[in-house]
Amino acid sequence: MHLSGKFLCLLMLLPATVCANAQSLGGTVTDCEGRQPLAGVSVRIAGTSGGTATDANGQYHIGNIGAGLHTLEFSFVGMASVRKEVKAERGRQSVLNVCMDEGALGLGEIVVAAKSPVQHVRETSFNVIALDAKVLHNTSLDLSHALDRISGVKLRETGGMGSNAQISLNGFSGRHVKVFMDGLPMEGFGSSFRLNNIPVQLADRIEVYKGVIPVELGADALGGAINIVTSHRRRTYVDASYSYGSFNTHKSNLSVGLAAKNGFFVRFNAYQNYSDNSYRVKTRLLNLETNSYSAEEYWFRRFHDNYHNEAVVVKAGVAEKPWADRLQFEFTVSREKQDIQNANLMKIVYGGRERSGRSLIPGITYEKRNLLVENLNLRLAANAGLARNNNTDTLARQYNWRGEYRAKGFKGEGQYAMGEYDNRNATLAANLHYRPAEKHHFALNNLLGGFSRKATDAAANSETSTAATFMRRTNLKNVSGLSYRFEPSGYWNAAAFCKRYDVMVRGPINVSATSTASYEEQERTFGTNGYGLAATYRPTASLQLKASYEKAYRLPSENELFGDESLETGDAALRPENSHNLNLNVSYDRSFGKVHSVYLDAGLIYRDTRDYIRRQIEQRYGGAYYTNHGRVRNYGIDLEARYFYGRRFSVGGNFTYQDIRNMERYGIGGRELIYYKDRMPNVPYLFGNVDANYNLHDCFGKGNALSFGYNMRYVHSFFRDWESEGGDIIIPRQLSHDLDVLYSLRDGRYNIGLEVRNVADEMLYDNYSLQKPGRSFLIKARCFLYKQ
Amino acid sequence: MINKTDRKTLSRTIALGCCVCMSLAFAACDKDNNQPEPEKPGAFFLSVTGESAEYILRVDNPESGTASIAGNSKTLELSGYTWIFNEDPSVAVGLIYRQGDPGIGLGYTVAADGALQESGQFQISSRFTSYGFFDRYALTSVGGQTPVDAQGNALLDAGGNARTDAVTFNFIDLRSGFALQEKTITTLNITGNGEQATFSGIVDMGNGEFLTGLVVSQPRDPNATGGASSGTITYPDSVWVAAFDGKLGLKRIYRDNRISYSSGRFRSQYYSQIGKADNGDVYVFSGSYETTSSRPCGALRISKGATAFDPAYYFNIEEKTGGFRFRKVWHISAACFLLELYNDLAVSATGAATQYGVADMSAKTFKWVTGIPAKDKITATGLPAAYGGKMYFPITAQAADPAIYIIDPAAATAVKGLSVTGATGINAIGRLTQ
Repeated sequence: MHLSGKFLCLLMLLPATVCANAQSLGGTVTDCEGRQPLAGVSVRIAGTSGGTATDANGQYHIGNIGAGLHTLEFSFVGMASVRKEVKAERGRQSVLNVCMDEGALGLGEIVVAAKSPVQHVRETSFNVIALDAKVLHNTSLDLSHALDRISGVKLRETGGMGSNAQISLNGFSGRHVKVFMDGLPMEGFGSSFRLNNIPVQLADRIEVYKGVIPVELGADALGGAINIVTSHRRRTYVDASYSYGSFNTHKSNLSVGLAAKNGFFVRFNAYQNYSDNSYRVKTRLLNLETNSYSAEEYWFRRFHDNYHNEAVVVKAGVAEKPWADRLQFEFTVSREKQDIQNANLMKIVYGGRERSGRSLIPGITYEKRNLLVENLNLRLAANAGLARNNNTDTLARQYNWRGEYRAKGFKGEGQYAMGEYDNRNATLAANLHYRPAEKHHFALNNLLGGFSRKATDAAANSETSTAATFMRRTNLKNVSGLSYRFEPSGYWNAAAFCKRYDVMVRGPINVSATSTASYEEQERTFGTNGYGLAATYRPTASLQLKASYEKAYRLPSENELFGDESLETGDAALRPENSHNLNLNVSYDRSFGKVHSVYLDAGLIYRDTRDYIRRQIEQRYGGAYYTNHGRVRNYGIDLEARYFYGRRFSVGGNFTYQDIRNMERYGIGGRELIYYKDRMPNVPYLFGNVDANYNLHDCFGKGNALSFGYNMRYVHSFFRDWESEGGDIIIPRQLSHDLDVLYSLRDGRYNIGLEVRNVADEMLYDNYSLQKPGRSFLIKARCFLYKQ
Repeated sequence: MINKTDRKTLSRTIALGCCVCMSLAFAACDKDNNQPEPEKPGAFFLSVTGESAEYILRVDNPESGTASIAGNSKTLELSGYTWIFNEDPSVAVGLIYRQGDPGIGLGYTVAADGALQESGQFQISSRFTSYGFFDRYALTSVGGQTPVDAQGNALLDAGGNARTDAVTFNFIDLRSGFALQEKTITTLNITGNGEQATFSGIVDMGNGEFLTGLVVSQPRDPNATGGASSGTITYPDSVWVAAFDGKLGLKRIYRDNRISYSSGRFRSQYYSQIGKADNGDVYVFSGSYETTSSRPCGALRISKGATAFDPAYYFNIEEKTGGFRFRKVWHISAACFLLELYNDLAVSATGAATQYGVADMSAKTFKWVTGIPAKDKITATGLPAAYGGKMYFPITAQAADPAIYIIDPAAATAVKGLSVTGATGINAIGRLTQ
């Protein structure tokens, strides 16, 4: 087997006569391995400001070009850039078809390759950031920590590996930000397969759509969407890595791909994470004799925080058949187990509570280009998520931070539970893309998702559970979108889209008017429409302007429509939460001479969010109810700047400031609110990252490279509660530094890396009282072999 | 404005105009007829709810004016405390239990300079559905618990299901830095009918014993519900009250069948419906929560030191309220109690209760409280404080700042006192002395 490094290949150079008058250039860009067309490839005319990008079919067209020889530069996320000369013949359309190869190990124009994710971003009119995950494949990061390096995105963790991780996007989080994997929502994947336990190696690219979401991602998300794009290239390779670090942390990942000439392919990915999370925390000590807390804080090592998860992802299928450009079956199986060390106040400690989860996710994808008619492309994708979660709290003990315990007279450290919950999800996504003529693009997308949930244990949640807890409830949601994009030239394009959201829920509802609850199954439906616009203009090759807007919605959840089946009442008259989301972006990307290049990007965001659905308790009504109330406005700025000195050195950073304030002046009862115009509490509003890389190429041998990396994370302190209420609890400023060294042998086939996180051993908190790990070390070895 | 003396005179004038028994009733509610207590230096402790947290506020005079939470309050780490106040020693005890997690209890006192100070933090590992003071302790209890053997294994019933008849008490020692001790007892067959009990209310008898109301039921259905710690009520027309000593030894059970069980139910809570009058008599109320009960809501009496219900005393309160039943009961002064009544004649688990009345238990009279917001305007109320013969009652009305209403029990009239701006509600008010 002959294994080789990077490859570039030029396919064809065919001049052709298409039309008269002015001369033009055009062609198709594909990937060399799979021969799949590549959309969004940047095509630039060297030495000029002219350029364009390939469309969904990988085709590009540059009109009105001067006759004679031109050099075209093709660049794309994760692909080695291609530079090729072509002759524009007078009065004709000349064709230049190009194929591109994976560029992670590329030796070519590295300056361009390093910037490729940025360039991909530039070609769409959305406020989207694409992170090239492949450049992080030698790190031990998971997807959530990779996301944390993106401007406007903040990861908030409650502890070490496996702890609760919340992604906040321009101040939105939770159900306001939807996460997708390859265009399908990850909601149903279960906690054992989610952003904070999937290694970054599983992703090719991470796309973050801020506020305005293309119709291809069907979701009712107010704040934006994150799409994890896994590798679709068909090739034969082996990628194996293992890392070991502080707190007895082990991570390993094995990825194998096989691609046959007849179009058959298999990708197999297995990974595991394991950690004792035995880092030290400073907190108060409980005296087990008196059940009183010490006035002083002391340092303790975490003793019951083991976490591990394991997953296998298999994808297999065929490509380039007359009946399918791609037909893929996939199957993901994952599980996790977590000891629970503390409550959401650090001083409340556990010694026996645990939680576990597992999930099975079968899926299928079908793609066909030129379906029935030319330029009509179909993509169908479906999956199911079968997830089971267990909560266990059975010890009749009470622990303290020394790991000592006393026996208690009843079971459960917190609340006796052996809860088991089953979630079943299914999603079907259909996407049609049609280009009836040059310059006109239509896309129609429909996403149908449903889930059912069932609790199977009585002891769980005994505080709130009722007979209805154990009744099944289902939720069916459909989001369809239609978009039209007008792309008259490579200099500007504009798109308009509209979306339709529908939800149907079915579940138990309390219909009793007496002290004894009585449940019956009911059904409720809800629907609304949304729309948006996006446009981009490139006055010069270096400068791009973008504007996008969406009227975004979040539909009420089943709890909000139904109540909690005991003492809450749902309300079918609720309005969806809605938001005016506006983005303006300016970016500048330019090279100076052979080695210097800069990239600058500024994004202004405006969000005006209304009709928050809130749970309200009023004594005059007895139980709780849901109502629309609240208006929040956000003016924000995301800045990013980056400088490259050839392949040798780069430094960059991003900075986010968001002025997120409550604009609701009156309370639900009509009283003026003391926190009118207050900054939203418990939301980071000023944060940033700085990173730098220094590479020594051909170090101790040709094809070997030594690189040094630095990453800094800063989060300004913020109030936990409304400032005007006199809140005196703050989440302190965070400043942490990470360092890494990587030595790559033989063009990246063999890698060994050392990482130091939180070098200064700072006490870090994303959430009040919940301390994150101190300094940690990690060593990683990776071997990446592939067939040419 | 009428001052205190005027109000007294007014009430006496009205009283004189009425029949003899009515004037006795007013006399019984009028603190001024008793020996006036010398006022100790101290301050009012208010727990107020904001939009995002719970705050502690110190107030000198709740009779009038406004206070703002901004800049004057202390934010608590957790919110949703249940506050209870003890006279001697003078402490505020904050109890909290959060679904699935133990809570951090708080003890507050007034320092020599008059400031409120946190004087203890303790962990509450068990739930609590009832609470009060006994001897030197703040006491909480929760029923429906699964008892365990020495190895921590659940005790099983004949059918192999985990038993749920354990009641767990927390003894929080007010004289020893709020040290908390947990004690669990089992209640199976406590009344001799084979059933188990959940406890409701704690009344210190002053002789080393406390009383608690029993909600006697079948075991909680292990496969269905959990919100309540009691199961199906087999005997809704009976009332039981247990007397325990400080070691949780059962001293005796008071039993009767003129009223239903003595407990106000809401979600998982069992609100106290027993209270002690100033003369030491204990009144046992029943809001007749069970729809299966044939007994109207009313009250019985355990005379001071008696070992059985007073057979001669029965007060049919429902008759006096026009059919409205009550959920909560607080002692004001003498033999007068403030009752919180359901807004509708039909009692349901989710029923709203924002009507208030004063019952004079010795005269067997009932009066609706006037001068407070209408029942359909009250969005929240808090724990009231009896002080100087009056009731200081936190009420939040729609579109208004939460305020303290001062209820004069003799006339059952209220005047609006202090308002707290910026707060969404006042959870509790209590007076602490140095």
